[in-house]
This record gives sequence, structure tokens and C-alpha cells, in this order.
Amino acid sequence: MKTIKLSILALMAAVLTVSTSCNKHKHDDENETGTAQVHFEHVWGMSESAFALNTNLVHPMSGDTMNFTKFKYYVSNLKLKKADGTWWVHPESYFLVDAADAASTTLSLGTLPVGEYTEMEYTLGVDSTRNVSGAQSGALATTNNMFWSWNTGYIMLKAEGTSPQSSTGNFAFHLGGFTGANNVVTTKNVVFGAENLVISKGNTSEVHLKCNPAKLFHADPLSAGTSVMMPGAKAKQMATNFYGSYVFEHVHN
Amino acid sequence: MKYSYLIIAVLFLYACNKNKQKDTFELSYPDYFPTPVYNFENNELTKDKFELGRRLFYDGILSSDNSISCGTCHSQVHGFADHNVNFSTGVNNLKGTRNSPAITNMIWSPSFMWDGGVNHIEVFSVAPITNPVEMNETMENVINKLNASASYRSAFKKAYGTETITDQLMLRALTSYMAMLVPVDSKYDQFRQGKVSLTTQELQGMQLFEQKCASCHTAPLYTNHSYQNNGIDSVFSDLGRGRITLDEADNGKFKVPSLRNVELTYPYMHDGRYWTLEQVLEHYNSGIKHSTTLAPELANGLPMTSDEKKKIIAFLKTLTDYTIISDFKFAPQ
Repeated sequence: MKTIKLSILALMAAVLTVSTSCNKHKHDDENETGTAQVHFEHVWGMSESAFALNTNLVHPMSGDTMNFTKFKYYVSNLKLKKADGTWWVHPESYFLVDAADAASTTLSLGTLPVGEYTEMEYTLGVDSTRNVSGAQSGALATTNNMFWSWNTGYIMLKAEGTSPQSSTGNFAFHLGGFTGANNVVTTKNVVFGAENLVISKGNTSEVHLKCNPAKLFHADPLSAGTSVMMPGAKAKQMATNFYGSYVFEHVHN
Repeated sequence: MKYSYLIIAVLFLYACNKNKQKDTFELSYPDYFPTPVYNFENNELTKDKFELGRRLFYDGILSSDNSISCGTCHSQVHGFADHNVNFSTGVNNLKGTRNSPAITNMIWSPSFMWDGGVNHIEVFSVAPITNPVEMNETMENVINKLNASASYRSAFKKAYGTETITDQLMLRALTSYMAMLVPVDSKYDQFRQGKVSLTTQELQGMQLFEQKCASCHTAPLYTNHSYQNNGIDSVFSDLGRGRITLDEADNGKFKVPSLRNVELTYPYMHDGRYWTLEQVLEHYNSGIKHSTTLAPELANGLPMTSDEKKKIIAFLKTLTDYTIISDFKFAPQ
């Protein structure tokens, strides 16, 4: 009994200490921020060799030799879930990842409150709202050439290049679509698991993700078609396969 | 008769600063007009934006060789349609495959282009600017050219408070001009407002029009903004709406055009195949071609005697607004 009473006392004392220190922390935390980045790595095929532009890559299923000259896609609406279950929402969260621009494969989320984050949500493509709301800016500016002028909507992914297996010598896949059966916009959720993302004062923490552009051609080789220029069943199939290849790798705290 | 005007106004009113009143700007339309689709959210209408938009509208700088402006194919004296040609001529003397429509009453339109492919007035201009057979330019080049102009930079500064010209601001400025193209001083409008009477022939034409045409060409804008196959083809070289929706049920359908200023905007149909209103009415009277997507209302045609056709045409001519086509405010300055 005595031990139990003592334990209870100790527990109460501990709770008191923790709660005061928590309060204190809380007070400090309000002004304490760190920064976060999300990094995308592009790998090719089952061997996960490095994906690069202007390089001959052989597709592991079709055997098609593909030399990509352009590879770009939109990532949007990043959110991070705090350990207390609330979400930190990145404002104006639109990024164009371009394989030709190494800096663009790292998305900078700017400053956010210090603390532990257990999950991340992000969207591949551009949400329907921004597709129907008129002229946009930043990553969504029409000057980025990722916009269909004649059939309003963002080109959510552009993959272009050359291939000896293409009937025209070239391939060009412009994938998009934000309504109905042709909606390709995909929201992904990452549970960090073993090691959470920890934002600490003055530090930059990183989330590393990986995707595999070979998955675009998981269903069809180039002999089945070398071009997609609008939303539709083929765009949906290619985008679904590719978006399915995004996986969480690790965090750097 | 009562008439009143709704006023969307727009006012940079600083109560204590009377000088600022010169910025006051209004878009007026009759109270029998519906609520506009475009509500100027994020792009409050001002005189500076309108004037900047007008300058852009009439400037060839938007095209790759600086030869073609918006106004080239959307001419004020033709009700902001092209100069009575079936297909417009763009950069390098190339021609398109559809007739340039009148770009008036755009703020009431839920979609743009004959096939409705464009969903917002602010992004509408990207299509003609980047189309190789129209202005053949890239948005990037347009913005670079504008940023290289000190005079444009200062005009953007005046209108939007920044010298850094972006596509977003350029598109919004063009919108500010186009939004004002609202023809509301036709004889029909004056009649609705109790200012004038229609002739017996015009009134009879109006009644016939109500019976035969108004289910699609609905007052007061004289369109219901739907897509219809009006029986001009049974085999579709241009899929129209079907090209956008990829739905076979939309093949051969095109946006029902407004009939305001219809007297001025010939030739008619998406490909400008009919040059007179008589030909158009004769098509509905005797020329309907059947297909699975034909508008059901047209299954048996719209039988009209030659006297009825004359009356309907007399009524259609009451929809012409001579004020807007001669208003200096909308002309290149």
C-alpha cells in the first residue's frame, strides 16, 4: 500500500512537473519554428537505377529504349500532422517538379512550428478548384506551359522524349483531368512510422520520397501509342500507375 | 414604365478624398439581366484595369510577329465578332476552322469557345494567344515582351500596384476590358424599359420567336448557354462539344450563341456557313439533317412561312445595339 501511495505521489509530482514544463514549452513553442523540405527522387524500373533526362533508359517490361527530354509534374496541398493530431497546412502549396531543374525536386515548405509530426499528406496533380478559378500565379502560371488553353485544365504531368521503338521517333504524354472518370488528381498519405519528422528550432528537416517514371509505361509499350494530349482513359491509366509508384523513404531530422 | 439599373460598382472611394472619385467605375446592365457568373473576385473592376485591358486588347504585342491583336478578329463595329468572314486569318496568313464569335456579355457565360472548352473568362485569352493559327505566341514571350516595355510596366503599376507583369495580371486586365462589353441599348432593351414601341411586325416576330426559338435562345441574353446539335450536319467533321467531353452523345453539338447583335455578326454557325439570317431560318424550316445527337426540338424542323421569317428577322434586328459599336470608350485609343 505504502509503495502504491508513494507511487501515486511521485506520479502526481511528475505530472505537475511535466505540466509546468509543458506550459513553459508551449509558451516558447509559439514563436519557435524550423523549416521543412520534401525531396523527390526519380528512379527507373525494377532495378531502381537513376532516372535522368537525355539518357537512354530501357523499359524493363517492354524493352523500349526511351530518352526523356522533358519530365515534369505538379505536387500540391502539402500538410503535416502533428503528434497531437492537428494538421499544419502549407499555404499556397503548389509545386512544379522538373527533372531538368535539380532544385525543383526539393519542395521548400518554409517555416513551421517546432515539434514532432507523424504523417504527411500531399496531392499529385492540381486540385479541381484551381482548375476552375481563372488565372493563377507562381507554379500555376500559364507561362510554365503546363496548361491546356483549349480545354481548360492543368497538364499535371508532362513526359516527352525520343525512342527508336516509337513509330514517329518521339513520344509525348501530357496527362491531366480533374473531373469525373477522367480525374487523375490523387491524394497520398504518408505515415512516418519508425522515425517521425521532428521540426526543431533553426533546423531544416527533410522528408524523402521516391517515384518511378517507368511505371507510366507499366500497362502499355510505346507501340500502343506515343502521345496523349488530353484527359481521358489512357491519361487516367498512366497517371494512376505512375502515382502508385510514389513511396516514402525516410526522414532526415 | 419603370426601369432601373443594377450597378456593380467598384469604387476606390476614400470618403475623405474627393480626388479619388475619378477612379470610380461602373458596369451597368438592366435589372432583367441575371446575376453574372464572373463576380470580379480578386480582380475588382477599375478604370485603370479597363484601360490597360483595352490597350492589350488592341496591341499586336500579344502575337508572335506583333501583327495580330484581339481586336483584329473581334471588331467593335461588327459587335466584337470578325469582319464578316467565315474564318479569321491569324499569324502567317493561317486560317482556323471555326468562326470568331462575338465576345460580348462574357461575364454571364459559364464557358467559352464554340465547344465550351474554356471554363473561365480569365483564362479565355490564353487560347487565341497560343493557337498557332491565331496569335501563335507563347505566354512566356508575351510576358517577356510586356516586361521589356517601360510604358506597360508603369500601366501595370497604375492598375495593379506592381511593375512586375505576370500572365495572371495580364489576363485579368484583358478580362476587365472584355467584361465591359455589354450591349444593353438595343431597340429591344429600350422597348423592355418602356422607352420605345416595337412595330407590329417586330412584335409579331417576337411572338413567333418565343414559340419557335426561345427554348435555346432565351431572353434576355438570347442563349441558354447549352450545347446543341442544330441539324446543320449529320456527319461531323468537327465534333464540337464531343471533342471536349469525349462523350459521343455530345458529338456535333456547339454552344448556343447569343443573338444579341446577330444582325452584325454574320456569317453564322460555328463554321460561318450561312451568310444571311434568311438562310439560317430556312435551315430551321427545311434543312434539318438528322443524327442521334440532334436537338429533339428540331426533329420536325421549325416550319415557318416566308412572312413569318420576315417577322422573326425584323424582331432579331431589334437586338442590335448601335451604341456599343460606336462608343469611343471601347475603341483603340
